[in-house]
Amino acid sequence: MTQNSTSKIINGDALHRTKQDKKVCGNGFVKNHCLFQQKRNRRPSEKNHHASCTSLYKKPFVESFEETPLLVAVLTYMGYGILTIFGYLRDFLRDWKFEKCHLAREREEQKDFVPLYQDFENFYTRNLYMRIRDNWNRPICSVPGAKMDLVERVTPDYNWTFEHTGNVLKDVINMGSYNYLGFAENTGTCADAASECTVKYGVGVSSTRQEIGNLDKHEELEILVAKFLGVESSMAFGMGFATNSMNIPALTGKGCLILSDELNHASLVLGARLSGSTIRVFKHNNMESLEKLLRDAIVHGQPRTHRPWKKILILVEGIYSMEGSIVRLPEVIALKKKYKAYLYLDEAHSIGALGPRGRGVVDYFGQDPSDVDIMMGTFTKSFGAAGGYIGGKKELIDYLRLHSHSAVYATSMSPPIIQQIITSMKCIMGEDGTTLGQERLRQLSENTTYFRRKLHEMGFIIYGNNDSPVVPLMLYMPAKIGAFGREMLKRNIGTVVVGFPATPIIESRARFCVSAAHTREMLDKALNAISEVGDLLQLKYSRKNRHGSEGADSFSFLESHQD
Amino acid sequence: MALADAWKQLSWFYYQYVLVTALYMLEPWERTIFNSLLITVAAMAVYTGYVFMPQHIMAILHYFEVVQ
Repeated sequence: MTQNSTSKIINGDALHRTKQDKKVCGNGFVKNHCLFQQKRNRRPSEKNHHASCTSLYKKPFVESFEETPLLVAVLTYMGYGILTIFGYLRDFLRDWKFEKCHLAREREEQKDFVPLYQDFENFYTRNLYMRIRDNWNRPICSVPGAKMDLVERVTPDYNWTFEHTGNVLKDVINMGSYNYLGFAENTGTCADAASECTVKYGVGVSSTRQEIGNLDKHEELEILVAKFLGVESSMAFGMGFATNSMNIPALTGKGCLILSDELNHASLVLGARLSGSTIRVFKHNNMESLEKLLRDAIVHGQPRTHRPWKKILILVEGIYSMEGSIVRLPEVIALKKKYKAYLYLDEAHSIGALGPRGRGVVDYFGQDPSDVDIMMGTFTKSFGAAGGYIGGKKELIDYLRLHSHSAVYATSMSPPIIQQIITSMKCIMGEDGTTLGQERLRQLSENTTYFRRKLHEMGFIIYGNNDSPVVPLMLYMPAKIGAFGREMLKRNIGTVVVGFPATPIIESRARFCVSAAHTREMLDKALNAISEVGDLLQLKYSRKNRHGSEGADSFSFLESHQD
Repeated sequence: MALADAWKQLSWFYYQYVLVTALYMLEPWERTIFNSLLITVAAMAVYTGYVFMPQHIMAILHYFEVVQ
């Protein structure tokens, strides 16, 4: 019932859109009527992605995912093998009571039931994660801006328990917060406006949007967000994860097809699974794979009955936070128009951080916002608040107001948070009368270019697009994950290191998030520390030319226009 | 002075060895077990080489008719 009404609304809209195949590039169209051809003799040694249809891109799209050196891969597997053997030894000792067990275990009466804690995830948590657990969940006791204060912890029993010494590590440079435009601060216009709003409205709303929790602040926010994105209407939710997981089930259902990128975030995957649609996965940012899936779906239809799919929804993200790659939006939009699918764009990391006016990936590529059917994003990263939004056509948003689980059951956003978003968004748009927003955007893109260029020159392997503020630095070996986190903290720099379930097992990395609040001195200090730690731990694996002859053209082009 | 430099260099090599084999993450007694096993196996290999290498080299040279 709900799917039919949705499909009527969205299909009715689709009929008005004229066929726009004229933008398709010439050479692909002649052979197979495919937009993007498979390249036969692609060099397998490294994947340096350049745009296949250069007519769709206005500026060079340079991404690189340098391949793991063979020796490093072998040594990484060896390291994991040694840790696994010792893990089995420790489990044996714990089982035979030679060693005290600190973990959750089944009770004695349940020993004959199906075991709960024997799968690989629990083995990994017990024996590998626990040993370097002090790199995560560090308590922060100040505002997580460009610099922060950390509570010092010591562990008497190898990370099973922690004690606070009472000391505070002051002014640790924060390279891990998603604070892209530097709005996570406790002074300034945003903080003052938020505290005035608290005085007026209080903090709790105590109801859902549909009942009695719809404040005039919510309406003001939604009108502002719609204006910011360039769409007809928008709706804001209290939690970014819940925006994805609760709204995708309202949009698709059984009989619909979801084409989702390989590396989509857990919230998108959860929403897709909850909806009950068929899910097919295409290779990360690979337009040939997506086109093949679309063609197969349209030709063969649903699995047994071969009826046409009710709806085909493509789920992509603006910036993928673990890889630092940017979606190939012009190509996705061309595909979507040709094959009449719908596009759901999750701009969690890219809104506010990309584009000359800060309007995200759509602005960065110069595309029309009305081409993207559902624009979703979060307020957590660039706006320094919490929550998410969905923007699109008015009929779509009106439908979501009635049928989204988040609107019906979840408490609405808290007033000081709304005020923080309103103030920061007006600052970015320039409506508060200052050029502060433009300054921050410019500072962020300068910092990104500088940071990435310097790291590349030093010889580290960096993944991702040259313009993305998320910078993953490859570590590979399990011991280096723990060593990197600890050595950087000794040099007063807080970093986020990521290992197995979030990344493939040998590709562990340290993820830096560049912020507009970082000054050049802070970045230089961080870069010197990273270089020192890189020499100490032998992390400079890159085999490309150190002084960037490949990337020199695009880097120098950008630098000369900004300095 | 040269001894201090040599000691620093050795301790840097030991640190790299501990990082690459993931012994960095293990507790001291586990490192002791692994290092003793490794040294035992290496010692056995060196001993075997010392005892049997002359015989093996003579056999090879005899095969290639370099020595009668």
